[in-house]
Amino acid sequence: MQANEGATGVAAGGEPDRATASRRQVGPYRVITALDDPRTRIPVPERRYIARSVDGRHTVLLSLPHPGGDPRRFLAEADGSRYLLGPCAAPATALAASDRPAWYARPYLPVLPLPTALAVHGGPLPERTVRALGTALAETLAVLHGQGLTFAGVSPAAVLLAADGPRLTCYGAVRAAAPDGTPRSGLPGLEPGSLPPEQASGGRPRPLGDVYALGATLAYAATGHTAPERDELPAAFRTALSRCLTRDPGARPSLAELADALAGGDPSGSATLLAPGWLPGRVIAALAHQSAAVLTAEIPVEGAAAPVTPPVPQPN
Amino acid sequence: MSSPLTHDDPETIGPYRLVARLGSGGMGTVYLARTAGGRTVALKTMHAHIASDPASRSRFRLETDAARVVGERFGAGVVDADPRAETPWFATEYVLGPPLDEAVDLCGPLPEASVRALGAALCGALGQLHASDVVHRDLKPSNVLVTAYGPKVIDFGIARAAGDAHLTRIGVAVGTPAFMSPEQAGGQEHSAAGDVFALAGLLVFAATGRPPFGHGQAADLIYRVQYAEPDLTGVPDSLVPVLAQCLDKNPFRRPTTDWLAARLHDGTGEFADHLPDVLLADIARRASEVWQITPRRLPRPPEEEHTAAPTAVARPSRRRLLVFGGAALAVAGAGAAAWAWSARAGTGPAPRPTGSGSGRLPRKKLDSVWQIQVAGPPDDTVPARPLVVGDLVVLVAGKGLGGIVAETGHIRFASDRMENTWQVATDGERLIRLVQADGSAHNAGKPGGFPLLLASVDLATGKAAEPFAEFTDVNGVLDQNQLVCTADGVAYVAAGRGTYSIDGFLASQTWYLFAVDISSGKRLWTTTLPARREGSRRLYFLGAAVAGGRLVTLQEANDGTVRAVARDTRSGAVRWDRPLDGVRPDLVRRPPAVDEDHLYVGCGPLRALRLSDGEVAWDTASEHPGATYGPPVVKDDFVYAARKGHGLVGLSGTGGAVMWEERGGQGAAADVTDPPVIGPKYMYNKRGSELWAIAWNSTGAPVRSFRTTGEVFIAHEASAHVIALGGRFLAAFPLQ
Repeated sequence: MQANEGATGVAAGGEPDRATASRRQVGPYRVITALDDPRTRIPVPERRYIARSVDGRHTVLLSLPHPGGDPRRFLAEADGSRYLLGPCAAPATALAASDRPAWYARPYLPVLPLPTALAVHGGPLPERTVRALGTALAETLAVLHGQGLTFAGVSPAAVLLAADGPRLTCYGAVRAAAPDGTPRSGLPGLEPGSLPPEQASGGRPRPLGDVYALGATLAYAATGHTAPERDELPAAFRTALSRCLTRDPGARPSLAELADALAGGDPSGSATLLAPGWLPGRVIAALAHQSAAVLTAEIPVEGAAAPVTPPVPQPN
Repeated sequence: MSSPLTHDDPETIGPYRLVARLGSGGMGTVYLARTAGGRTVALKTMHAHIASDPASRSRFRLETDAARVVGERFGAGVVDADPRAETPWFATEYVLGPPLDEAVDLCGPLPEASVRALGAALCGALGQLHASDVVHRDLKPSNVLVTAYGPKVIDFGIARAAGDAHLTRIGVAVGTPAFMSPEQAGGQEHSAAGDVFALAGLLVFAATGRPPFGHGQAADLIYRVQYAEPDLTGVPDSLVPVLAQCLDKNPFRRPTTDWLAARLHDGTGEFADHLPDVLLADIARRASEVWQITPRRLPRPPEEEHTAAPTAVARPSRRRLLVFGGAALAVAGAGAAAWAWSARAGTGPAPRPTGSGSGRLPRKKLDSVWQIQVAGPPDDTVPARPLVVGDLVVLVAGKGLGGIVAETGHIRFASDRMENTWQVATDGERLIRLVQADGSAHNAGKPGGFPLLLASVDLATGKAAEPFAEFTDVNGVLDQNQLVCTADGVAYVAAGRGTYSIDGFLASQTWYLFAVDISSGKRLWTTTLPARREGSRRLYFLGAAVAGGRLVTLQEANDGTVRAVARDTRSGAVRWDRPLDGVRPDLVRRPPAVDEDHLYVGCGPLRALRLSDGEVAWDTASEHPGATYGPPVVKDDFVYAARKGHGLVGLSGTGGAVMWEERGGQGAAADVTDPPVIGPKYMYNKRGSELWAIAWNSTGAPVRSFRTTGEVFIAHEASAHVIALGGRFLAAFPLQ
């Protein structure tokens, strides 16, 4: 099964590809459509779907490891994400049992992966959007670091845009990809531009790596790629983002500095930056379209007994 | 956005599991619901009691059909429907966007780019509808949902297939006055060009936040729509000529939707590109919040308790007592304490029951401000009518006269034996009654039995004061004596001379109508009434009112037909007397609706009789042959009544033109046995077991309802209450 099946689906604004997707059952869920659009060509650390419990009652965002990935490492990171705090945290709320094929899920809400948002908008996002996004993500990572955690997985695809702000997903994707000490360059699912050099070479992920990854991700939002020329960056935060992307972790700014630079001196942070207008109209239209399509989507029901059908584990 | 299900909402409707309530109105309830496969829909139901009316049911079906015609691009896509179910329903997509009126509330007037994009898209929607020979007829901001991909037109409750005679009879002045076309306001055919007029009005609203003909009462708006120029102040300059052309009074000079679409927009960009941020944010919020709705159901409300009324005290027959003459009257007097009143708390300040020795019974939750129990009327042939006297509601019930403080439901008095509801009258301030003398010196040796006494009632105690007038030439104990009405300091009394009979009128009796000056007690004039047949129990007068120098009465003739009779208030001379065909006596037993020029009668066609000569000034039979109206009520040059199967209407008193009509599709169940009760903002009318408040402003929509089994409703304006009288209770509801 390819990660990107049904990828022309609702997430990108088309009709859900029910014929193929809805036949597929993962744990207690039936897949409605893929979340990511392969046409963006941005690597995604997980296979992500919009899915629904077989009783039709709960719609979720469902994540699976890539074929060939280590399902135990994947599940360990998903388990760790259950305790994440902060405004943009997206903790897992359901996980596969350890002796079953790996998956985890969280309640559905309409979201566009950042690369899809750029595609829908027709190019790099407006400065206002990048400011709001960056401030909210920096605030969230600051909470995480305060918990003594390192996210180790910030990348363009890990950022989902929802109506009320971003959600940061793919927690621990770098750690899940390979154990420390193993070079991680070129591993599937890891977007090279947002992988900090010290982690690419096998180093243990540390908080300042998250600053690098966030800088790259915001550079992507503002320019369309994660390793931009300095001139391409909007003047307002050219300096701040360039500092994030230095090879030497010690030269990177703190999250507080970054948030201040992005907020442009607004002391209330993301709360005011996420006011109406923070998302471009077409991104909102795509969110509304996805929501409407998922509201309309119907999973097949196997006779009257369908709501009580026990979850069927998917043979691997 | 949503509210939990209530305990009595069903689990499922059709194949849908109910999740939450999205809204509830006069017609029915809208639910958020899901299929077993998790598809989410908005499920619209029609109350079963409304669906029992075939006209409502067929309108529901038409709405479904029209929604199907408009399709999911320009409307809320219909998923499924069962218009034949006991509770008819139809399921549509759940639309992610606010109605235009809410959008303008939220964002203020929309920028020109939004107005243009909205207008062009709506032209597309109307074009599609018109191409299918359907006219919307009620295009207005609340019927247009603004989504990120374009507007969707909803609520085809009064849409009509062009040329569909069946639904043409919905009649004139349907629609929302503020956005009506002039031809619709004038009761003419509203064609596709009428929708163009409404669309332009809607765009004026979007651009300025104001409807093109302003706000105000329905009748004013209907006038302005037909004759005044639209107010385009604040409309962007480049849009003014285009919209003005659409707002031409002459439908033939208005442009087509294609022409208009081309003038409004060149089609570049996406719809969302043209919307303001605040509106987009609201759409995004709705798209997300629908996923936060979780199924919840409110528990059954705790059963409240009340004290049951003492069971009716066995009451000896009045007539039987009277056979024994004066002595028996004294016995009857001792029974005055048998007044069966007990208060029970509603949601207001009424006291808890004070009665004792009664069983506790579960009761339904009350919607009333207060409710008290009262005994039934003493004589079932003539139902009790509550009277408004100052701050009181006065009622003959059980064996006495009760005065209830309208504000609180407190019983101020329950006193003095009084068994005949037709022997008490009020001008609104003073309460006058006929009094029967106790069997004492008063009647000893007088011919014809007992004198007829008239007395004022003390509004603090309910006791009759010393009589102000006494007439010995009539028999005061005759049951059929009537205090017809009091007005302008004069009491009008019908009384008979002759022997008492337990069996109604006697042919040997002679009957009179006379006028008594209340201040002096002097008789002003006396006229004779036609003799009643032996054994008849029909009272002479069903109702009376004074206006324009006339005492206007509705009288029941010997054969049970109803006549309207106008007498000169100065001389008592009959000025005219005409039969009211098809009017049943029991439906007009109340003061008739009059103004200085006309008597208005419903119970059949609604008609206005000139007070001067009794000729029909106008009636509805020519416009709407066969239409039946309930009893009317007059207010400020307008006459209001419920039209059977259609709901409340307001007509000009002078010409009978329909100036206002209830909207909201719920009028089919309107009660036509009682006149509507008029408050400052709402008109009240019973439907099924609910009293409905209908906004009589431009929306004309049913706004809220109160559960009640009341049968007679009157306005008590001083306390701002609607007073309801049911079989065994008196209750108050807010009068707004």
